[in-house]
Amino acid sequence: MQKGQKSMSTNSGMRGEWPRNGHNRRAAEMTDPPAMVRVRFHRFLPYWAVLQTDLRQTSQGWLFVLWIGLMLVGICGFYLYRVGLQQEAGLVQSAAVLCAEALRATFLGSLAVVVILSVAAIGTERGTVADAILSRGISRHQYFLARQHARMILVGVVFALVSTGIIAVGSLLFRGGEADISFRGAAVVIALLSLLLAVVAAVGVVLGAITNSTILGIALYWLLLYGGGLLLMLAPETWPTPERELSRLRYVLQGYYSSAYYGRIALTAAAVACAATVWGLIGFSRKDV
Amino acid sequence: MADDENNWIVETQHLTKIYRNRQIALNDVTLTLEPGCVLGLLGPNGAGKTTLLRLILGLHRPTAGYVRVFGRLMTPNAADIRRRIGYIPTNPQFPRGMTPISYLDYIGRLFGLPRDVRKPKLATLIRAVDLLPHSGDPIAHFTPGMTARLAVAASLINEPDLLIWDEPTHGLDIEARRSMLELIKQLASEKTLILSSHNLSDVDEVCNHACVLNKGQMIFHGTLQDLKGRIRRNHYELDVDGDHKAISKAVSVLRGLKDFTHVVLRHRRLDVKLGEETPNTVLLAQLFQVLHDHKITVISVRTVGMQTEQAYLDLVEREESRGFVRLYPASEAA
Repeated sequence: MQKGQKSMSTNSGMRGEWPRNGHNRRAAEMTDPPAMVRVRFHRFLPYWAVLQTDLRQTSQGWLFVLWIGLMLVGICGFYLYRVGLQQEAGLVQSAAVLCAEALRATFLGSLAVVVILSVAAIGTERGTVADAILSRGISRHQYFLARQHARMILVGVVFALVSTGIIAVGSLLFRGGEADISFRGAAVVIALLSLLLAVVAAVGVVLGAITNSTILGIALYWLLLYGGGLLLMLAPETWPTPERELSRLRYVLQGYYSSAYYGRIALTAAAVACAATVWGLIGFSRKDV
Repeated sequence: MADDENNWIVETQHLTKIYRNRQIALNDVTLTLEPGCVLGLLGPNGAGKTTLLRLILGLHRPTAGYVRVFGRLMTPNAADIRRRIGYIPTNPQFPRGMTPISYLDYIGRLFGLPRDVRKPKLATLIRAVDLLPHSGDPIAHFTPGMTARLAVAASLINEPDLLIWDEPTHGLDIEARRSMLELIKQLASEKTLILSSHNLSDVDEVCNHACVLNKGQMIFHGTLQDLKGRIRRNHYELDVDGDHKAISKAVSVLRGLKDFTHVVLRHRRLDVKLGEETPNTVLLAQLFQVLHDHKITVISVRTVGMQTEQAYLDLVEREESRGFVRLYPASEAA
């Protein structure tokens, strides 16, 4: 028999059938031997199963709904306030500046939730639920990658949609501003922020997989991101710190940016995610669940 | 011997698990399982039963030693080996928001089963475990019995060659427990099973081999008959009827006989222990002769302590009493 194949009977009768009321309701024994066929296992089906289930379950989870809700409420409140200023006080504001402010606040706020969403991806399923999944025909590598990719996709796609909405609504509401938002600049901002958030999710899943406590992992990651960000503010002016990059978003939205520079940032982020993933794959494979 | 080695379903060598240098969960366990074996894994709480099962499944990595399943080394990434194993954990839990259909479909996909195999199989299993009326209900609202049945279905969806069931009768009512044992008996005829249980009567009923763990150490591994063979023999209980004075007189006669080491009468129940020197058939013949001479009727005769439970308790007690000599196997120490 070839690797990855197994003989399975195609007759639908379960040989050890569950009896009811003390009477064994076993199916009538077939007189002919059951037809045997070779079943080719789908190698990547376990990966898809975990990926799809994780996407569905996470998107129905309270934390995800809370994240979306907070983002929408925050953006609506901010825009209403700014529209009020424009209508009542006659303050003409730049759409790019307002959108950059909204994106910056949404990004920094989202970090907190994305950390929880990502670190908890594997950590919360330790024990009996992990038993029910990892004791089946799925390798640790596939399970880890499926979880990580699901969280990255969800975080990246949701943030891309929300930031698209922020820019679209902002450019509609504040048309009288001094400078319009460039289409290419907006695309760069959306892609960059979504990518960075997806990378944060990727590293978060790794931390969740290799730490023994989910709470500890979340606390460590928060400390690393927010504490590290604050410390980097002390770095020399030439350093591309997160705070400085976020404050430059208004110019990027207006179309003043260097493709090569942001390309390097994207590549660096992708390299960090890849390195973290390799670390997670090795660490999770050596871990008891 | 080489053939035997190739045929072993499970083989562990010097399997040891120490959690974070703080807790020794399993200590130097070496055992082998032949095809068709139904192994009852026995031991008190914290004996290391679940740890052993998790090591066999590759959910835990051994601190020392190794596990081979179907002749191949079990690792956390050995998905191909796990495709041939059906597992039920203690108190099985399920992902949120699933119904039996979606859960079994999920498990089928985790095994890599294609749709045309998976879908008919899950429908058959749901029908077989009597969950058809609840096939669309959320699993979160299921009773322990229904949960157990779903876990059974999940463990059989890949038509495994090896079944590892961790306390499958835990929390079940009498009827569900009986059904579970009947199912195990059915499956035992064609599959290899490892059954962890606290309930010794379950093991006695369905298993042909036993492995006893105590504080992480394997203190017995062999057939159930071997286990029972280690227990104290020649202890009988007789329910008798007849004149009270005659019974008392018979008891005093029996006490006077050689090799009747213990004769006690309690409310017309005669508790008799026989010595080892004379064959028990001779002594029992004497016993019945005395009863006959005193016109006493025997209502029932029972052997005491001939059950697995007694054997198990004896083993654990003996192991505890060995003190530091535990360093050596029982046979060497003797």
